[in-house]
Amino acid sequence: MGLDAQLRRLDLAREVQGYQDQPAQMRAAGPGKVGELRLGFSMRHGKSVLHDLYRVAPLLVQQALYWDEAMPELPICSIISVGGGILQGDRYKIDISVGPGACAYVTSQGANRIHRMDANYASQHQTVNVEAGAYLEYLPDFTIPYRGSRFINETELVVAPDATVLYGEMMMTGRKHHHVDERFGLDLLSVMASVRRPDGRQLFTEKVLIEKGDPTIDFTAVMRGFDAFANIMCLAPAPVCARIRERFTPHLPVEGEIRAMSGVSRLPNEAGLMLRAVGVESYDVRHEVRRFWRIVREEARGRTLPTEFIWR
Amino acid sequence: MANDDGAAPDPHRSMVHLARLLQFSDSTLPIGSFAFSNGLESALQMQVVNNPAELLQFVELVVHQAARMDGVALLHAHRAAGTGDYETIRAADQALWCRRVGEEQQLMLSRMGRKFAELALKLAPLPLLGRWLGDIKGGSAPGCFPIGQAIALREMGADEVECFVMHQYAVASMVLSAALRLMRIDHMETQRILFTVQGRVEEDYNAVRDLALEEMSVFAPVFDILVAHHTTAHVRLFMN
Repeated sequence: MGLDAQLRRLDLAREVQGYQDQPAQMRAAGPGKVGELRLGFSMRHGKSVLHDLYRVAPLLVQQALYWDEAMPELPICSIISVGGGILQGDRYKIDISVGPGACAYVTSQGANRIHRMDANYASQHQTVNVEAGAYLEYLPDFTIPYRGSRFINETELVVAPDATVLYGEMMMTGRKHHHVDERFGLDLLSVMASVRRPDGRQLFTEKVLIEKGDPTIDFTAVMRGFDAFANIMCLAPAPVCARIRERFTPHLPVEGEIRAMSGVSRLPNEAGLMLRAVGVESYDVRHEVRRFWRIVREEARGRTLPTEFIWR
Repeated sequence: MANDDGAAPDPHRSMVHLARLLQFSDSTLPIGSFAFSNGLESALQMQVVNNPAELLQFVELVVHQAARMDGVALLHAHRAAGTGDYETIRAADQALWCRRVGEEQQLMLSRMGRKFAELALKLAPLPLLGRWLGDIKGGSAPGCFPIGQAIALREMGADEVECFVMHQYAVASMVLSAALRLMRIDHMETQRILFTVQGRVEEDYNAVRDLALEEMSVFAPVFDILVAHHTTAHVRLFMN
């Protein structure tokens, strides 16, 4: 069976053309290198359930669990990478759909490590389809791009006008405590997300592109010395966004030790809001994301966030 | 100097052409740029910019970003204006608008675009620009500034390199004009910074000239937070 058309399209992206050599181990997109995951949530007998699950290793989801004490009706799926991270030549495809009125939370088992690569690259294509009145939190744990890693990721979201989606990436600049050259030691990080309505109307697109040797990486107005950042979008109806905006206080300290900064901006075409956060450590950024997440959940679903697990 | 038909250049037209380019590059062009600081006001308040050296780096980042976003859309619109391909102009306009985060950044983009079009149409008959302004007024085009600049300048005979340089210059001079009013810096120093920043324009053009609209990209999280901050700032002189 040939590679999925969207993954083949990513193979043609300009930024990966310099990394077309084959690994000395298993060839790129070879057997066991193409992970696939399809998750479908819908309302069944008044309850949100995972009705559709298809998986191909190295991506794995076992079942939906209902462990959120603050939102017990929420089916939660943790994506497990049995490969222990993303390796050179990996090709991942993730499709998530949430039917009318249903809710779901999809996350990952732990930090998503993009391993060092000496040949080829890794790619991932995701589609997220959230139908009328549905609610999805798709918040994977931190991504850590190792020194020399190359990763291209594209996410296409189709969101009904009255649906709510919280989706985004939390990233480290590398394994900061491992080696001094880990900070933005990556070769390539290309992360694109686009949002459209079911009728095809394009609302928002963003592409983050970091390539080796970019001199602006060390500019103060880019990272200000911080090692973690997050871009979290809340796609929701305008009245919900207005309430979230009203309640979220930007974190912008100017004195003392500055552990993190965050702010919320409006997306174009009434697509929703974008939280931007930077911080010293992952937990500093996670704290800002959770602050935003709590407000989004409260305003969109009338539920709050449970206390964070102590091992986080 | 554009001379698409291959005819020998007319020296008098060249002089007028250059004079018009200078007119449309003037930082006092009444398109409302004086009201915007492009994040600098917040950068000063948040102590991200504290001195001329840091201002130079901030302006370099702003023009670097402008090249990779607005500059790409501008080049596409310019080429489309050259062939009368109005649908591609609209696509470039929408593509840029879909990528602009923050209400004040959006306001800057659309207000300057509309004002630029209105001004240019008062000065010269520019049919494609007139059609685009009609669409802005009708609500079917967002009206992004670089798109207006590309259409107008193409209709006035400017080639894409001239157009790109003028756009990058406008972005840098906007931030530096704001700097004069926001921080302890004199005109000599801002001119020195502008002179330095202009030195990178060819490198930026070469980096983006072949990019597709889908390849417009950004990466400046702290800058994005500054933009978000300004919206809620209590003390503010500028609109972004």
